[in-house]
Formats: sequence, C-alpha cells, structure tokens
Amino acid sequence: MDTAIGLTSVSKSFGKFRAVDALSLAVPRGAMFGLLGPNGAGKTTTIRMIMNITAPDSGEIRILGNPMDRETQNRIGYLPEERGLYRKMKVIDHLYFLAAIKEVGREEARRRIADWLDKMELRPWLNKKVDELSKGMQQKIQFIATIVHDPDILILDEPFSGLDPINVALMRDYFLEFRARGKTIVFCTHVLEQAEKLCDEICLMARSKKVLEGSMKELKRRYSQDLLRVAMDASLEEVRTLPGVASAKAVDGTFVLGLAPGTDRREFLKRTLERFRIDAFSQKEPELEEIYIDAVRSAGIEDRTIE
Amino acid sequence: MNWKKTFAVVRREYVERVRTKAFWIATLLIPILFLAYIGIQISISKKTGGERQLVVVDLTGKLYQPLAKELADTEAKQRKEGSSSKGPHWSLTERPVNGSLDAAKEDLRKEVLAKKINGYLILEPAKLEKEEVEYYSTTVSDFIALSQLQSAIGRIWMRQKMAAHGLPADLAKELETRIDLKPFKVTEKGTAEEKGAGIIAALILLILMYSTFFMYGYQVMRGTIEEKSNRIVEIIVASVRPTELMAGKILGIGLVGLTQYFVWSVVAMNLSLPVFAGLLTSSDMGMPRIPVSLLGYFMLFFLLGYFLYASVYTMISAPFNTDQEAQQLAMIPMTLILGGLAVYPGVMNNPSGGMALFFSLFPFTASLIMFLRTAVSEPPAWQILLSVAIMISTTAGLAWLAGRIYRVGILMYGKKPTIPEILRWARYSPGKAPQPAVKQAS
Repeated sequence: MDTAIGLTSVSKSFGKFRAVDALSLAVPRGAMFGLLGPNGAGKTTTIRMIMNITAPDSGEIRILGNPMDRETQNRIGYLPEERGLYRKMKVIDHLYFLAAIKEVGREEARRRIADWLDKMELRPWLNKKVDELSKGMQQKIQFIATIVHDPDILILDEPFSGLDPINVALMRDYFLEFRARGKTIVFCTHVLEQAEKLCDEICLMARSKKVLEGSMKELKRRYSQDLLRVAMDASLEEVRTLPGVASAKAVDGTFVLGLAPGTDRREFLKRTLERFRIDAFSQKEPELEEIYIDAVRSAGIEDRTIE
Repeated sequence: MNWKKTFAVVRREYVERVRTKAFWIATLLIPILFLAYIGIQISISKKTGGERQLVVVDLTGKLYQPLAKELADTEAKQRKEGSSSKGPHWSLTERPVNGSLDAAKEDLRKEVLAKKINGYLILEPAKLEKEEVEYYSTTVSDFIALSQLQSAIGRIWMRQKMAAHGLPADLAKELETRIDLKPFKVTEKGTAEEKGAGIIAALILLILMYSTFFMYGYQVMRGTIEEKSNRIVEIIVASVRPTELMAGKILGIGLVGLTQYFVWSVVAMNLSLPVFAGLLTSSDMGMPRIPVSLLGYFMLFFLLGYFLYASVYTMISAPFNTDQEAQQLAMIPMTLILGGLAVYPGVMNNPSGGMALFFSLFPFTASLIMFLRTAVSEPPAWQILLSVAIMISTTAGLAWLAGRIYRVGILMYGKKPTIPEILRWARYSPGKAPQPAVKQAS
C-alpha cells in the first residue's frame, strides 16, 4: 500500500506533559483519513508535527516517502483549527501572500485564485478588506488559501467548526472532489458523526495514545458481531441483568445490547424469549462512538469526555 | 533560511504598512511639527522685545540717570549690530520715596497688579553693598531682559565704585571688555569652528533615533501579537519557518523605518531647510553643518540598535495574546532605551571618559551613546568597531533566543504564561527534528 503519511513511534512532550505517546500510523495515499479523538487527545500536536511546526522528541515522520522538507511542505495544504486572517489586508493581496509563501508563482497564483473566487462567488469581494467580509466568507478565503498551491495532501483540523450547514455541505463536496482526484485528505475532529459520514480510514486517539486504527468498514464489521438491537417487553433494569449482557441502553423504545464476549447469540435469544416477549430484533451496526468507547475501555484508558 | 518565503513576508510587512494613511500622516506630520516647534522657539528667543515700563526707586540718588543712559546705549548698540537676541525697550521712571519704603513698595505693588507698570526696581545702598538689587514684576522668567538689566546695573555700579576710588573712567571701559570663548573642534581632518549647530543637529538626530527605536520596536511587538490574536500565525508557520517569519517581520518593519527616514531627509533638504536655515543664520549659532559621516554613523547605529531592540520586542511579545499582557515586559526595552538617553549629558561633557566608553560598549545603550560620541568627538576606530561587534553578537544571541521563544510562543493560546515558563520554552527542541537513526524491524 502506498503511504502518504507515515509515523513511526512518534512522541512529543511539553515539559512533563506527554502530548503524543509512541504514535505510529500510516495514511494510505488517496484516502479520506480521520484522525479522531476528544479534545486534548493529542491530535493537533500530531498534525503540527506532521506539518513540521513542532518537532517530535523521538520517532520518525515520512511524507510521501520523504522526511519533511521544504519541497514536501509545499505539497501539503493545512487548515489549522486556530485559523484567521490579517483583518486589514485586501482579499486579493492576502491570497497572493499566502500563495507566495507556498512558492506559487504570481501568474499561477492569479489564475488559481481567480478560479476559486469564481467558484465560491467571491469575485465582487476581491478588493475588499478581510474585515468587511462575513465570517462564512472569511472561512471560504481560508479554504482557498489552503488549496491555492494545489497540494497532494490536505490536512484539515476541525474544518467544520463554526461553519453554517450550507457551508458544511459545500466544503464536504470540495473534500470529496479532492479525493476523487486522487488526493489524500487527513481529517481531524472530535465530532465522530462527521467522521463517520466522510472517512474511509480512521485512527482513534485518547490520552496521547492510539487506541484503534483501520478502515471504517472493517472496524464496523469487527464490532457489529456483539451488538443487537431488540424491541422487547421489559425494563432496562431487567434487560441489564440478563445473563450474557455486557451493556444495555434504551434507544427510541428499543434496547441496544452489547453481548459479553463468547456469548452465543442464538442461545441468548432463546433464553430471553422464555422470559419476555420479543417484538423485533436485528443486528446493530455500531456507531463510531460505540466503537470508540469500547476501544478506549479495552485499552484501559478511561476517558473523561466525549462530545 | 528560504529567502523566497522570507521575502514574501518582508514584502507584506512593508507594503501593508507603507500603504496606510497613518504612516504618511506620521511621516509628514512629525517633521512639520518638529520644525514648527524649533521655529517657534527661535522666533520667541529673538523677539523678547516690546516695551517695559519700569519704575526705579533709587535710594542712592545717583544710579538712576546712568542706568537709563546705559540701557538706552545698549539698545542703540544692538539695533546697529542687528543682533538677534534683542532685549526689550526699557522705559524708566524715577519714583521718589515720601515716607516709608514699605509704603512706597505697597503702592508700586498695586500699580503692577493694576498693570500700570511692568515692574519696579529698588536700589538700596545697604543691599548694593551686599551685591543685591531687588526687582519686582509679575514675570521674572524672561531671562534675556533680566540679564540685560542685571549687567547694566553691574556696569554702572562698577563705574561708580571706580570713580569713588579715583580711577580713570577709561579704565572702566577697558575692564568691561568681555572675552568671547570660540570653540574649535579638533578632528583628524583639521580644525573647524563649532558654533553649536553641529551639536544641536547631533542631539536632534539622537532624539530621532531614540524615538524611532520605540516606534518600530512597538510595531514589531504589535505585529507579533496581532498575528496571534488574529489566529493567522499557524496558517503561516505551516509554510514559513518561525525564524523566517520573525526575520521577515523585523526586516520589513526596518525598511519602513528607513523609508520614513528617507522621506524625512527629502522633506528636510527641499522644503524646510531654507526656512530653518534662515532662522538659524540670523541667530548666533550659525548654519548647521551635518557632515556626511555623521549621517553614515546615524544609519549604522540606527540599524544596529533597531535589530537589537526588535529582537527584544519579539521575545517579549511572542508569549502573549494581547497588548495588555505584554505591557509588563515591554518595560524592559523601554527602560534600556531610556537608560541610553539618560546618560547622554554625562557623555556630552566628557565624550572620551570612562563612562562614555562603558555606555558606548554596553550593547543596549551602545547605539545611542556611540552615535553621540562620533558626533561630538572622534572616538578611536577600535572602540567603534568593538561597539559594533558587541552589538552584532548580542543581537545574534538575542535573535536566537527570541526565535526559540517565538516558535513556541506563537502557538500558545490561553492563559498568560509566567516568565519561568517562557524561559523553559527556549529549551524545547528546535524545528529541526532530532531524527534518531533507529532503523529497527517495523
């Protein structure tokens, strides 16, 4: 498999705080890769190390097969979580500046900026100061700045935060278009539902460590075997105490049950039917959140918050 | 260092600043205000004229007439010579004392307050023996008029005393001749008469240098904090190394400073110099001759000082998110710059002394003080070179430290860091990752 970004046992500490602990990952070329985890899990530090903004204390990072250098840096487009613009600059000058620091020639920059401004219907705002633009427009400008040098890899840290639903949809379309052109996208978020819809490969992080990595399909298959959705005539308390049930919760008038490992599903249903009426049951495809919680638990890292 | 990227930063810093109205207003307004101030000062000092109604209470009975004559003579002499520092026209009246002196004084006091007269002079024999004469007026701060009055009284008092001792009146005239001390500055290239204008020009340049350190140092600080509070800095450091961003910013703002100086000198050469020179030549100071070497030293020490202080300002602004937070540490460069300005009178008095040498080598005052020394004396070449070398190496060290603090600081948001924390940042591993050559089975 062709690797766009490869990390080998990368660690980074700030003073006594270990932000990233022996992290290894491989982002396949052409993937929509989700780097997921709650706030403070070490995602942003990981991305900053990939971008060579902060240096790892140990470990190795390879981008498109090479260690990070100036050439490589110019092939990545990065949209940080903390993002803004110079407020007093004209839109066009600002975009030229951001293209210039990616070493895009003036002519090339002019063409690409014009294309994107047309696409995003921002052309009338060309000579306005950034200050005069709405927040949504500023976010579009930031996006143009991220891709103005036509990067092979896009790294997006919480790209949807602060966007209205229309712009979320618009951005998502652009991301999908990028992937369709064979580019690699690393998508970093703590909102698991967004990742679930977009990503085909994920890495879950918690407390500075990787807890899970793989393709979304495979992960779902792996975790779905023990999950059942059952509509039955019982209280949550009764369901929870059934033999073989490891976890249970009530969702929309049904119960989502996690079976203890090694529990035979047919045996479990048979036994349950003897005591309660079962109206319906199905195999439940796990949500990313459930996979995440499960992975964090089994990795022995109790996590505080999942938003 | 990638110069293409650094240049893009320099260009942005420069163009965005030079384009603003504020830059042009400041650039054009400062010399205008400066010249207006000097012009007003000079014309005020030239026109202390006007008429003074002075009542003289002459208890000696023999000083009034000579005094009136002496003052009239001085005025006539000044008019003939066309001297610039004219005194007022004195209009004297004698007032006899009928009754007590205190009562007379009280009457005169009322007349002064009623603005009938400008002031009154009491010539008492007892006080004169103690070399004292009392002068009463609502304004006692017009030095030219007062010194004129004082020397006139002094002269007639001396003449009378000499006459009393039976000395010839001609001798008094001869004794009155004042010796003019004409200073000549000795330099390697010969001697030149120094009329004070050269020193004034050097002081003006000194004040200009000192205020531009503040101005541009502050701009570097504001720019750094603005990038953080705008949240743009991370977008930029994804393309540009923090050191390049820092260097680009300092260079760009430095160029803005040079542009401002360039505009100022053009304005000074073309527009205001004739006016300025006109005012100066009619005074006693003579035309300011600013030698080219002085301007050369000015540029050199401005740039050295600017880079030094810009590094300090970068260092103290990178950890913070608002101007207020940085304000506390901004006292450090401010004190250092002011320190240079505070010691300048001592250096002027003895430009080759130990204190002058110390402060012209101490890196934080060196730019101001070494410049001043080159302006008022000729320091040995080795001292100039040593000073420049010390400044360059200090700047290199500070820039290195500033760079380390900057690269961490610009990405730190949230709570205001403490100074020990900031110093700890400098020890974090730098951008070039220590890539261990571990090639184990993977």
